[in-house]
Amino acid sequence: MSDRKPGVPVSPYDEDELRELLEETDYDTELGMELARDAQRLVAGELSEEVFHDRYHEAIVDEFGVDERPLETIAAAFEAEHTDPTGFFERLESGEHSRRDVMKVGGAAAGALAIGAWGTAEQARQDGQSMASGDNPNQDGTRWGMVIDLDRCDGCLGCVKACREENHWERGANWMYVMRYEDDSRSSGEDYLVRPCMHCSNAPCEKVCPVTARHTRDDGLVLTDYDICIGCRYCQVACPYGVNYFQWGEPAVPQEELDPNHTHDGRDRWVDSRPPKGTMGKCTMCPTRQDGLLGEDKVGTVACMDMCDEMGMRAIHFGDLNDPDSRPNRYLRQRREQETGRRPGHDTTADDFMQTSTKEQDISTFRLLEHMGTEPNVIYVGNQPGPNAEQVDGPVSYEAQGSVDRRKDVLDDGADADQRPWVYAEGGDDE
Amino acid sequence: MSTEVSRADLLRPLHTTTKQYWLLFVAALVVTLVFVYAYSLQLRHGLIVTGLADWGSGGGVTWGIYVGGFVWWVGIAHGGIILSAAVRLFKMERYTPVARLAELLTIGALSMAGLFIVIHLGRPDRVVTSIIAAYPETVHTSPLVWDVTVITLYFVLTGTYLLLTLRHDIHQLRGQLPDRLDPVYTLLTVGYTESEDRVSQRLVWWLALGIIILAPLLLHGGVIPWLFALLPSMPGWYGAVQGPQFLTIALTSAIGSVLVLALAFRKAYGWEHIITDDVFRGLGLWLGLFAMLFLWLQLQQVITGVFAAPIDVDQATAAKLNDPIYWVAIFGVILALAYLAAQALQPHVFSLYGTVAAGILVVTATLIEKTFFVVEGLMYPSFGLYASVPGEYTPSWVELSAVAGSLAMVVIFFLIVAKVIPVVELHAIEGEVES
Ligand code: SF4
Ligand code: SF4
Ligand code: SF4
Repeated sequence: MSDRKPGVPVSPYDEDELRELLEETDYDTELGMELARDAQRLVAGELSEEVFHDRYHEAIVDEFGVDERPLETIAAAFEAEHTDPTGFFERLESGEHSRRDVMKVGGAAAGALAIGAWGTAEQARQDGQSMASGDNPNQDGTRWGMVIDLDRCDGCLGCVKACREENHWERGANWMYVMRYEDDSRSSGEDYLVRPCMHCSNAPCEKVCPVTARHTRDDGLVLTDYDICIGCRYCQVACPYGVNYFQWGEPAVPQEELDPNHTHDGRDRWVDSRPPKGTMGKCTMCPTRQDGLLGEDKVGTVACMDMCDEMGMRAIHFGDLNDPDSRPNRYLRQRREQETGRRPGHDTTADDFMQTSTKEQDISTFRLLEHMGTEPNVIYVGNQPGPNAEQVDGPVSYEAQGSVDRRKDVLDDGADADQRPWVYAEGGDDE
Repeated sequence: MSTEVSRADLLRPLHTTTKQYWLLFVAALVVTLVFVYAYSLQLRHGLIVTGLADWGSGGGVTWGIYVGGFVWWVGIAHGGIILSAAVRLFKMERYTPVARLAELLTIGALSMAGLFIVIHLGRPDRVVTSIIAAYPETVHTSPLVWDVTVITLYFVLTGTYLLLTLRHDIHQLRGQLPDRLDPVYTLLTVGYTESEDRVSQRLVWWLALGIIILAPLLLHGGVIPWLFALLPSMPGWYGAVQGPQFLTIALTSAIGSVLVLALAFRKAYGWEHIITDDVFRGLGLWLGLFAMLFLWLQLQQVITGVFAAPIDVDQATAAKLNDPIYWVAIFGVILALAYLAAQALQPHVFSLYGTVAAGILVVTATLIEKTFFVVEGLMYPSFGLYASVPGEYTPSWVELSAVAGSLAMVVIFFLIVAKVIPVVELHAIEGEVES
């Protein structure tokens, strides 16, 4: 594990990269992208073959100069990809089409495959039923979660900053927290733990909440209803991971400055952005994004992941863990293939990874404090911190990213100010 | 002694008011007002005025002396009612003179426990609406809701209990009670007939039985410790021993408080013949017994925590043992126990003030131990990877003023109640109801 970062290639499951790929060919990029998306819908049964054919036949013939219904070839190959993990291109080739044809539509075909692989969350959700292979009991509905590849993290804290800019939490209320640590039992000096809320399937924080303010949505997101929370902080005490951050004073960013589309989720409950005074906040996994309130293109994304991708690190992979084609599940399969040379079944999901009995041949995956029975929905790839691991300073400070590491320092200033109320009369403010 | 003289003795607090009374009243009022001011600051600015902070990366603890104070007052309250129920159930007539004091203490202490829950909250304005709305669901899962439920139940039980025994006394003494409070007495004795005594005596007995069975098992040996003991996230809290441990704290702190109250009333009203040395001697013995149990259960935790404990438990225990605050609490109890044990073996060692001092020592030690338990538990979580773990906590003056304020309010409560009703039962000086 010492030759870490360089050995790990960039994930192919990114729309931008796909676009680049298509742009490198001589063919029309937009057409390729469109085609790829619709191919996915065709397979999902949302689009009839007739419509698909009418929509693209002409354009394809013009563009690629092939008159042999390459669309159906792509679609068939794509469909087969879902039932048989044999190589996609081999399947294309084995048909009645010549290698030449295949190569000609290669750009579009790659697009179709990659888009399918990338599987936007919106599609994943809509396609939930038709995609799920019926024999896996876990695969009913959406279950948002993350795969975080710790080997790819370099501690830049970009995710922390992005989350703060998106959610406006107080300095030090690090909904996303990244810690570098050292562990006696290992020699390598650069280990990171990226710690959002785990959105546990069996969340102790929810269990203890005396008012059901802390609750789990149908899609697995564990949220606080800011309109109900009484600020008892029992959730914070019961959560073994320490991901909750209370709103001790008046928020620095006033209510009027928050985007109303970014406070109430699709059920119209106030669960997103920083909490109001006296209630509990934590990483939300961006429910207003998932509900499409911030635009369709943000569905299936979270701010921290976007930033991580932007920085070129691609350590965070958010998506529907129940969907074999979601970004996190795809990423895990690809990662294993890289590491072991063996290709996992095409519908292997995060759950299968965690259950596999041949761990030593696999990549190192773990869930944090799994023995506590919380069933966390964040799956890590990389080293697991041992019981004697200790946090050390990372390469980038929290101050440099607009936050602060130890929140108590900020709070104590506020507490002092409040304990000397005449300071307040002069217009002092907390944080 | 003549019944009439004793009755006059009993009613002395209602008819005489000394300068010391007013001094104490004003002092308590001032402390209460300081707390009211402090709390108004907290309402305005939020809990940022406390010394609390987020645990984990935040470097603080999120529950502090408010929760410690809550647990402490609940302990006193529950111990108080257990004491009074034991008097009725097991006919421990020796303690009848302090039974009503214990009941009143339960009412006062339960109110303070409720107060501490409310001031602990970030949004106290919602406490009723939010809790009631979610009750059908949360009662299955949230230990905090169990606490609220059981405390409410106990408030009602104790109130009924107190009222039933009070009605008889007020009826009997009506002629000698201050006239200006007539409306209060009319209200308290509404619908009273002498034939009710027999029924209410039965009822009181059953209530006492219920309390004796429920209180230890469900209350301070149950839902209160479960608030902590059920959470594996904090190894300092987790585990089955907390039930009995909390119960010993409830009993010791309640007996300690009753000792203080009994001495205060005895001194103030010259009640040497009503609350006799015998009462103190006996209560001292019980206090010693429960203090011993308290220490024994502490020992259980320390031994399991150091011998071959899992890493997180081991760390939590080591930290506890290295903290002087812990030893202050433990030695406080050891000292009290040593004195009380000597007194049990050598009756001539007995001294009134010594016994009450032992009581105060134990009550203080249990407040320290309970707050320490809450805070230290949060300082050593299972997941201790954060550099800012263990967190730090020093209660702010706002928080400390709440502890002082709650004490002051209980003092005021007793000062007022003593002017309205006889705080010692008529039975204590006249025996059972003549039929
Ligand atoms: S990580 Fe903590 S706050 Fe998040 S769901 Fe799990 S228990 Fe709750
Ligand atoms: S702080 Fe709010 S969300 Fe957390 S347990 Fe209390 S009421 Fe529930
Ligand atoms: S998922 Fe959303 S709320 Fe959670 S850390 Fe990432 S950006 Fe922040």
